[in-house]
Amino acid sequence: MEKMLTVDNIHKAFGTNEVLKGVTLSLDKGDVLALIGGNGAGKSTLMKIIMGIYHADKGDIYIDGSMINVSSTSVALANGVYMVPQEPLLFPNMTVEENILIGFNESAAELHAKLDKHIEELQFDLNLQRKANTLSIAEQQLVEILKGLMREAKILILDEPTSALTIGEVQSLFRIVNDLKQKGIAIIYITHRLTEVFEIATHVAIMRDGIITANGPVSEFNREMLVNALLPPDAVHNTNNKTERKEVELDYSNLKPVLEVKDFSGYGFSDVSFDLYPGEILGVAGVVGAGRTEMARTIFGRDIVLGGKVILDGKDVTGLTTRKMLAAGVNYVPEDRYYHGIFKISSIAANTTSALLASDEIGKFKLNRKKENSIASKYAEEFRTKLVSLEDLIGSLSGGNQQKVVIGRSLSTKPKVVILDEPTRGIDAGARSDVYNIIHHLKEEGVAVLLISSDMEEVVELADRAVTVYQGRINAEFSKKDINQDNLTSAAFGIPVAKASGELA
Amino acid sequence: MKRLRGLLKNWEVILLLLLASEFIIFTLANPKFLNPVSILSSITNYIGICIIALFVTFVMITGGIDIQAPSIIGLTSITIGVLWSDAGFNIWVAVIAAIVLSALCGALSGFFVAYCDVQPMVVTLGGSFLYSGLALLISSMSKTPAYQGISKFPMKTEAGEFVSFRFLGKGTIFGFLPMPVFIYIVLILICWFLLHKTKYGRQIFLIGVNKQAAEYSGIHTKVITMSTYILTAIGASIAGILLTSNVDSAKYDLGSTFTLSIITAVVMGGTLSTGGKGSIFGTALASLIICILRYGLPLCFGVSTQNLDLPVGAMLLAVVVGRAIMGRGLLSKYFKRNLGNKSQ
Amino acid sequence: MKNIFNSLKSIRWISGLLFLIAMILITGMANPDFLSYKNIISCFNASVVFTLLAIGISFVIMTGEIDVSIGATMGLTASIAGMIAQQDGSPVKMLLIAVVVGIAVGAANGVGVAYFGVPSLILTLGTNGIVRGLVYIVSDGKTVENYAGTFTNYGEKVAAFGITYYYAVVIAVVLITHFLLTRTAKGRHFIAVGDNNLGAELVGISVFKTKMLAYMLSGIFAAIAGVAFASKYGQVNIVAGAGYEMSAIAACVLGGISLSGGLGNTIGAAIGAVIMSSVSRMLVFIGLSSNFNNTITGVLLITIVVVDALTQKNSIEKARRKRLLQRTAHSAGSMPEPEKGGE
Repeated sequence: MEKMLTVDNIHKAFGTNEVLKGVTLSLDKGDVLALIGGNGAGKSTLMKIIMGIYHADKGDIYIDGSMINVSSTSVALANGVYMVPQEPLLFPNMTVEENILIGFNESAAELHAKLDKHIEELQFDLNLQRKANTLSIAEQQLVEILKGLMREAKILILDEPTSALTIGEVQSLFRIVNDLKQKGIAIIYITHRLTEVFEIATHVAIMRDGIITANGPVSEFNREMLVNALLPPDAVHNTNNKTERKEVELDYSNLKPVLEVKDFSGYGFSDVSFDLYPGEILGVAGVVGAGRTEMARTIFGRDIVLGGKVILDGKDVTGLTTRKMLAAGVNYVPEDRYYHGIFKISSIAANTTSALLASDEIGKFKLNRKKENSIASKYAEEFRTKLVSLEDLIGSLSGGNQQKVVIGRSLSTKPKVVILDEPTRGIDAGARSDVYNIIHHLKEEGVAVLLISSDMEEVVELADRAVTVYQGRINAEFSKKDINQDNLTSAAFGIPVAKASGELA
Repeated sequence: MKRLRGLLKNWEVILLLLLASEFIIFTLANPKFLNPVSILSSITNYIGICIIALFVTFVMITGGIDIQAPSIIGLTSITIGVLWSDAGFNIWVAVIAAIVLSALCGALSGFFVAYCDVQPMVVTLGGSFLYSGLALLISSMSKTPAYQGISKFPMKTEAGEFVSFRFLGKGTIFGFLPMPVFIYIVLILICWFLLHKTKYGRQIFLIGVNKQAAEYSGIHTKVITMSTYILTAIGASIAGILLTSNVDSAKYDLGSTFTLSIITAVVMGGTLSTGGKGSIFGTALASLIICILRYGLPLCFGVSTQNLDLPVGAMLLAVVVGRAIMGRGLLSKYFKRNLGNKSQ
Repeated sequence: MKNIFNSLKSIRWISGLLFLIAMILITGMANPDFLSYKNIISCFNASVVFTLLAIGISFVIMTGEIDVSIGATMGLTASIAGMIAQQDGSPVKMLLIAVVVGIAVGAANGVGVAYFGVPSLILTLGTNGIVRGLVYIVSDGKTVENYAGTFTNYGEKVAAFGITYYYAVVIAVVLITHFLLTRTAKGRHFIAVGDNNLGAELVGISVFKTKMLAYMLSGIFAAIAGVAFASKYGQVNIVAGAGYEMSAIAACVLGGISLSGGLGNTIGAAIGAVIMSSVSRMLVFIGLSSNFNNTITGVLLITIVVVDALTQKNSIEKARRKRLLQRTAHSAGSMPEPEKGGE
């Protein structure tokens, strides 16, 4: 029998960055394939290729046995592929019904009959007259699934559907997935949560660095095997590598914490407590959506504090504005470089000094260009930023070099604490090692570094101490000797660290 | 050759060439065109457009737009007239009061834009109704009928020289330079310094490029955004003072037809309507191009002075569509990338 | 009861209607003479030109764009209609020419905005200037007046219940466009494009075609408004219609059409147009001079958009917070789970 969907030896590179290095996958009718992998593993890129948003550099896609050139989204839709994105793309001002039925040309009566049939079969409890902008994420996903079913989708892609759902909602989603499975629909289920694999999937595939590292029926796997497949093969080797750097374990007995976070709560995280010492790199590991970024943003004055305290050098800085946090000595390198980090059509110099505009560092009223250039070139040299002129637009630099400029900006305010949020996401290996050197350098200068990362390897390599955040709370803390990928990955995915010495909070 | 190409990439150089070719074409068509006195006085005629465009550049660089400024010209004019002629204030007190009132108007609109996140286009549309309405109301308080305009402002000495208030609009400096043009030049320098040489200007640019990133850099995006609307209102007020003084008439609807030309000048000057890019010299050059066009076309080609919107509109379209065609490849890439990001 | 209230709240032109009713009542309190059927219906009758303009531009605004060239388009067809009327030409000819002019201007705008991606305010400011120039060229810079025949008489003819023929036609147009917009598959495309253009593309709606169509409709309605204008006032000068685009935009905003697109309908536009055109009429009854007209319009406009923006902002922020809170509430419930697994 023909497979419902086969992707064969798919390659895709963005510039020099190879994202997919020959991915082959297939699934049958009624299969639920759980696709797991860390951030940047290439899952999203693969799905976008299947949906026709990107085009593969090499490789073929077969749907129901015939090779399809998925040149655009409409080709994918016409062939029965439908993706429910993590953040559904609904029309916020339209009702649920309008959202589902828009884009069809059949008569209203026909469409309604069809819709009623689907709703009844799946026992959806959804008021069709509600506006889409009043729906929860779970309800929006239901609407997206219905949109897919109305288009006779044979292959449904669910992109991390449970990342924003409550337990009850997850259960009803699983029930729906099971129903769809019975109806013979093939489902690709992307997830971060290993527990879900065993609950819902028939098959599992693990992706890392653009390749499939393990693939097969769920019955052939257990949790440990999944975790192992998520780890890079040279994980052990890496730990050896790390010791080459002359590193002493920090002696905490003489240190006073520079930043104390106590029972800190806000939107997206709750009851977070940790201390951060000068000259220390504290890793904050966890999957995307675990609440790490929300916590960092709230410390940095970008969102409202719901409870708890942040104490910097003995002074209470809870809930200060960003401007005051900068002055107090905290700086933050945002996770989303494009939206929150760079000023794309401004010069490298202007990008480096933007956080100094609030101080008198580069002039009281008149802009001191000389000073600005000397600061910008200082960081460009120190960080080995590849650039032609400081007057060039930052948009002309590679991602890694852009990130160096943003890190330079965060240091320009001479902070006591630097929060680095996914500092090496989407940058190439060369720039990555440069960034690691910068972080080490910071540590030597006595700056306290809070390193937020979903790249466990990175935390292992850099951190003196690490905590993991799982669903908005810190669920484990590890001292230097216990930081390894196994422990971090398990804790970040919410699996108790049975044998590790890390203590569960 | 390479250097030439580099120069041509600089928009201000292209504008300069355009201005030069205007001079050449108009002079060839009618040698009378090259009369410094008439050229300067033509700039004086359109001084409102020139001055306001400078300040609207600030607003547009932050990513906003201001279409209420022309209504503030009239408001200023009539305020001065009524305070001076009907309420008996000293003319300079009236001038200062008008500037303060205008600044308040700018602050109100700016507040709604910056603090309430209302689209600048709608707020300033409402503002243009409100402030022109206020102007009309103030004018109705005067004994002078609205259509007539308040005139006979403090003026000449025995020797026939303009002094006091009228000097601002009618006087000359260095013997040839009309005061409005002189003030315009001073304003260009001030605006250039503010926008390109100070931390304030830098913050305006950064807000326009990426407001989010500006906030992460600790920039007071709201205060600064609001301030650009206040500045524009003050600029419009200065324009209103000069116009009133120049024509010796305080009217509530002075300047009400300027919107198209102002936006044209700013956009043609190289300011991105999406914000983040622009220059004062660019705007000033584009304003001059428009002034010369409006002066030269009737003189040299017999185009009616009432029909100058057409060439100005055509020029605006040529510039924006031309730029869009050049940037077309980039645009479709932008769309694709956004599509990619959204469905991540 | 709460349901009725909620669904009322979701019909956005309700606030515009309430404003209109409040204005009528306030005027009535100041001067009871106003509260006659004749006076009130005349407010509606007087809004023909504004309503046509507002309906046309509402299509463009729903897609999230703007069109400030409609004032000039209206002036152009008004001049042409006036000149035809001077020859006692037929209104059918006027309307046909108007439709052609409207489509031409609309197509130019549509190509600039939807194909070249020029910001719509700037592009239509440019076409506004050019079309205004055409008005001058067509009319040779003179006011078009002294019609032959009966063209001006159509305007005040009453069809039934005090409603003029013109306004009766306008009512029909409002109802038809409202039906098309809300009850047909294609009609929803305007709103969809303004609501979420990426989402629209993904379900197979062409953003380009939709915006193109919106601009053409806007042009056609403005052009027809021009004919009505020529008939109503009996003379057309070269600045006829200047500034009307702003009043039409204001009418749409008053009628609950969001300038960011994706919200509103033509009934709202029509109600907004009545508000815009009757303010001065009501002022006369209150005993205030019509000098208050712009001030009151400005205050109304700013109040409505600021309140609208704040409620929108508030509800988005609320939804975000709720979503984030759910995440941690979720974890509180599930925390014991992994621990159980470990034991």
